[in-house]
Amino acid sequence: MAAAVRPEESEAFHFCGHLWTTGSCPSPMGWPRIDRHGYPLRPGDGRPIDNLGRLVNAEGFAIDSAGERLVGPDGEPLPRAPRTRLCEEWIRERYGLSSHTQGSWYRCCGNQIRKLVDCCSRSRRRINGDASLVGYCWNGNRVFCVMYYDSGLSC
Amino acid sequence: MVETFTPAVCGSKRRQRLALAGFAVGAVAASALVGAALGAVGALLGTQLAFLVAALALLAAAREAGIVRLPLPQLRRQVPERWRAELPLPVWSVGYGIGLGLGFVTFQPVATFWVACGAAVALGKPLAAGLCFAAYGAGRALMTAWPRHGQPDPTAAVESLARRRRLLLLGNVLALLVCAGLLAAAPAAGAAIQIQTAGAGLDPAAAWTVLGRARMGSGSSSVLLEPRGGTPITIDGAAAPAVDGGLLAYEDGQGVKVIDWRTGDLVARVDGQVAKPALDWPLLGFVRTDSTYKRLVVADYTDRASPVEHVITRISAGNDLGRPSLAGGRIAWHKLTATSSTIYAQRLATGRRSVVARSRVLVLANPSITLTRIVWVRQSSRACVLRMRSWASSTVRGIYRTTGSTRLLWTTALVGRTAYVTRWSLRTGASTLVRVNF
Repeated sequence: MAAAVRPEESEAFHFCGHLWTTGSCPSPMGWPRIDRHGYPLRPGDGRPIDNLGRLVNAEGFAIDSAGERLVGPDGEPLPRAPRTRLCEEWIRERYGLSSHTQGSWYRCCGNQIRKLVDCCSRSRRRINGDASLVGYCWNGNRVFCVMYYDSGLSC
Repeated sequence: MVETFTPAVCGSKRRQRLALAGFAVGAVAASALVGAALGAVGALLGTQLAFLVAALALLAAAREAGIVRLPLPQLRRQVPERWRAELPLPVWSVGYGIGLGLGFVTFQPVATFWVACGAAVALGKPLAAGLCFAAYGAGRALMTAWPRHGQPDPTAAVESLARRRRLLLLGNVLALLVCAGLLAAAPAAGAAIQIQTAGAGLDPAAAWTVLGRARMGSGSSSVLLEPRGGTPITIDGAAAPAVDGGLLAYEDGQGVKVIDWRTGDLVARVDGQVAKPALDWPLLGFVRTDSTYKRLVVADYTDRASPVEHVITRISAGNDLGRPSLAGGRIAWHKLTATSSTIYAQRLATGRRSVVARSRVLVLANPSITLTRIVWVRQSSRACVLRMRSWASSTVRGIYRTTGSTRLLWTTALVGRTAYVTRWSLRTGASTLVRVNF
């Protein structure tokens, strides 16, 4: 009985937990890992990154793996780069769509609960170019691309 | 013309040679000046004119072939006869050379000169256009000397040339057709963009005849100024150069200084927490920083004893204003925050500000401007692109690109159709200047 109800490891379509064909939302490092507010995280370890893919500290300044601020060719610390939400800002700028984070589902990935999140818009086309589905979007929106958030909760 | 220098039975060979030399100097110099001026006009215009000039060449060929009848713009004049009587030989021979070397103040038998003028504007490079037009002046000087060469009677040589007029006109038509073809093909051939590294350094500063840069070494920086054809000048302890003709602005431990780089004389200084100078004298731009704000300031040194400062904009100290650029009555700068990046340009006379580019995703930074164009760097997680736009057009072109997250583009400079950009390595911090001719 226990074996029957044990949660299965989700098979990935292009990342773990994603079983459909909608493409990933654009992101600094290719994989659309986000924090709970929709800002980009480094896929491997979940550390916050800016839109250029650089690790950042709490103030948003680029740092190295040891936490020291990165410097430019003049020896001065690099200025902040934008760090914006993959759905609400990136999709709006790149595709001209009014997009919103709506709808989510959960899967067990890597022994922790992963929340898969739809970025929804009025577009009849998904980011891959084919027809969009309603999915878990609401209010007349349809799925444009997907992102994910790793909760860290064991499963 | 050669008979003018030494009329029959009057004047020696020495006199003739002296006159021919003076004529040649005047002709070559005047035509080179015309070419350089036209090239400078083309650089200022900054518009792709090759197709237009190709069409002009075709029209000229049709005219020369007798297919169309078109009057030519010209002054139907000859060199002033009275100069020979009133002025010394060296003066009037040079004067005659200048008159004919200019090309447009005397009789024009064919349309080719005007096509050449259009091509010089389309080329947009004063030096190259000046050299090409110098050949025109040399040709005029040659035609003055040639009839006398090996001939007892120079008029016979001229008459033999006149008898071949139809052949010469046909050759002219063919030359114009070839020019039209070359001009039409030039943009497609990608002749526009040339990339070259210009040595180690960062923060380029460029004027027509001088290139400046900062260099890092042993924990300190210096500014290197390289005048074309002159001796390089190094200023230790300086950084972030900006150059305007004979003046150099830079930041150092005390603030910002403006010097005459030829003499080293101090022209102006702003002390305190100021940096990132921009120079379009008597205007000096810089960024003043305090604990709360960064302010972009333009100081007007029209009255050097009492410069007037005007704050263009301010942002909170945690954000970035970058290195401003001043030219042609405008100032440009970037604003980098955690939520967006923006390239601004503002007309100083009216205060009218415009957004050149804005992004909530990418980094747009380090603009440089001239009277006619602006360049800036666009950075994503995968690539850096040097972007260019003419003020007269909204079309933006990428003119240089690096890929990857570690080979990046930084500060820029712009003069005519040449942009300079710092290319640097995130891994090592080493930087190189790249010259982009477009």
